[in-house]
Amino acid sequence: MDNKELIPPGLVYLADNITSKGNLLGAARGAGARWAKDLKLPQQAETILFAGCGYQFSSELESLMSLIRRIDKSAVSTEMAMSLAGFQKRLGIDAAGMYRRLMARDKDDGAQPLRDAVKVLANMGIEVGYMADEEPCCGGLLHYIGLHNDFNRHARETHDRLVAAGVKRIISLVPSCTYTLRNLIPASTGAQGIEIRHFCEIVAENVSSVELKWRGEVKVAYHDPCQLVRYLGLVEEPRSILRAIKGMELVENELTSGWWATCCGGGGGFEAVFPELSQILAVNRARELLDTGAEIIVTHCPGCIMQLETGLKEIKASGVKVFDLAQVVAMAMEE
Amino acid sequence: MSVFTDYKKEIMEAAHNERIRLALSRAIASYRANTNSALKKFPHTVKMAEEVRGIKADAIGRMEELAGQAAEAIESNKGKAYIARTAGEALEIIDKLVGTDKLIVKGKSMTGEEIGLREHLEEEGNEVYETDLGEFIIQKLDSRPMHILSPAIHVPKEDVAQLFSRITGEELPADDIEKLVATARKLLREKYFQADIGLSGANVVAADTGTLFLIENEGNIRLATGAPPVHIALIGMEKLVPTLGDANKVAEVTWRYANYVVPSYVSLVSGPSKTGDIEKVTTYGAHGPREFHVIFMDDGRTELARHPVLQQALYCLRCGGCLYECPVYAVTAGHFGDKYFAGVGAVWAAMINHNVEKAASIAYTCLTCGRCKVRCPMAIDVPQMMVELRRLIAEGDSSV
Repeated sequence: MDNKELIPPGLVYLADNITSKGNLLGAARGAGARWAKDLKLPQQAETILFAGCGYQFSSELESLMSLIRRIDKSAVSTEMAMSLAGFQKRLGIDAAGMYRRLMARDKDDGAQPLRDAVKVLANMGIEVGYMADEEPCCGGLLHYIGLHNDFNRHARETHDRLVAAGVKRIISLVPSCTYTLRNLIPASTGAQGIEIRHFCEIVAENVSSVELKWRGEVKVAYHDPCQLVRYLGLVEEPRSILRAIKGMELVENELTSGWWATCCGGGGGFEAVFPELSQILAVNRARELLDTGAEIIVTHCPGCIMQLETGLKEIKASGVKVFDLAQVVAMAMEE
Repeated sequence: MSVFTDYKKEIMEAAHNERIRLALSRAIASYRANTNSALKKFPHTVKMAEEVRGIKADAIGRMEELAGQAAEAIESNKGKAYIARTAGEALEIIDKLVGTDKLIVKGKSMTGEEIGLREHLEEEGNEVYETDLGEFIIQKLDSRPMHILSPAIHVPKEDVAQLFSRITGEELPADDIEKLVATARKLLREKYFQADIGLSGANVVAADTGTLFLIENEGNIRLATGAPPVHIALIGMEKLVPTLGDANKVAEVTWRYANYVVPSYVSLVSGPSKTGDIEKVTTYGAHGPREFHVIFMDDGRTELARHPVLQQALYCLRCGGCLYECPVYAVTAGHFGDKYFAGVGAVWAAMINHNVEKAASIAYTCLTCGRCKVRCPMAIDVPQMMVELRRLIAEGDSSV
């Protein structure tokens, strides 16, 4: 077997963005780091926050997805063998223009969890650096697509870049990046030595050192991101954090939470191959979560946030807000 | 149109079909409730599943040896056993045994489905009746199975009523499921006793005694393998385990994860029917079949067993539990698949049926969310298999 043409073009496009542009979205250099421009985080530090493409480029992600969805519903066949440039053109993406417009926007809500994560860690006495423009894409998607030669090359470069920057410890936020940094890259390079922790592990360990209080009483459904729960095994940590917030009541359906959590429909690049089906799955998951009687939904992954918001919008339940765990902890610190 | 375009169209049509979604959402809820209560009643099953993983790990490494051993045991039980290297060889053996113009009653068999056995026998001029109710419905609808245990999972009762009304010429109401079941019983009853041949698969086979385990609830397999004068069983080599004790464990784990506390029937068949009741002279074909033929089919399985990651597909007990946990399957049913469904279906399409394009389509439909693995009694790592399959598709591999 050697049938590269059998890889769905949506995935080929994303893979090419990683290998040629260094990020999932093919965004221009510098676009990802603007969320931190007022935070004055040191670019070189032994402990860094790994922001990840998903949060850094979340606004772009939504634009890209809405375009892919539109194209998928139209007559254009996304599986036609086409050159990457042709594919981009066919999608009608004016990448340069899109990023210019986004850069001009004052606020970037999608990156709010990143600012909140920095704040939460600081309140717990943990200072982090941020590599900004120098932060590499973890490249995990290359692995999931099956492009392991590309992934291995990328993993080596990523590892070298982190070592050269003097990084000893990474606090990572995106579940998929975390698994890639913690498991896939060391397995590929054979090199150990950088400690990889997920943000919620750190917060769970330090949660007793802070006062957390929600404004009023609220019923919360927690949506476990697949990679956080079934790849990284972090079931209890997010829950212990939510339970520590006064005023929050965790409502769960044990058949579809924790190890049994239903995927939001955005797993492993699925949304780029089957955008319409992905949306159906997002609706199903949003319904499951609403059936618990939850008033807000908390999750911990930029992909899940996008999917669940889409799902809620489809069933006209946009009144139910979706928050990242970092956001609710930061909000609970303010009260 | 490419395979992927056709496939995507097919699964999207399924995803927009409210009837499929309704039928499946009911099936999923009842599967989870039944399985959880069955596991609660017999909590030892979880440990036993671990033990079975060990049994399978050993057995899969030496399927040919076990097939030889089982064949020897069956021969000494006065049955006939055959080893088929390929699907073509299996069909050839069956053709020689069946001939043409025969009436055949058949139990549900995914291995039969895999090699298109029913269609082949029909082309050879035989009349074949599927006797499993779901499979009978599928056959009459000219459709294909959408679940390994509940093939007609996607067909609502209204469609069954319409179908049976057409067959019988009698108006049958959709809300009377008992009547629908009774109709199928009546339609098939006499066929068992008129049939020349009964066909079956097996859920698991003990190599030491040559014993086939057939798990069922309807009783059609007992009739189909008991009433006709000849019983032919087609079995994939991955169903072999070393001993009768091992096979017992595999069977119990299979049905428990298939949502049963205990099934109504488990038939153990090791040879032809015989009696020594008249002057102790052993005579074959007493009340059951005089002839018992067992075909152990390789057809790519021993090769698959050598693949370090994809061999996990051979551990599959066909309990169907994974499918109830798959978010994609929940809206597309068996359209997300080929001969088998979802992750294991992709491996089967690639390695057994050598349909690379179909395999790629299925592999890239997997969310890699991993909930199937949580359910699977064999802890088959479907995401890992899908990523490996994608790697083979994208980068090639000399061994494939």
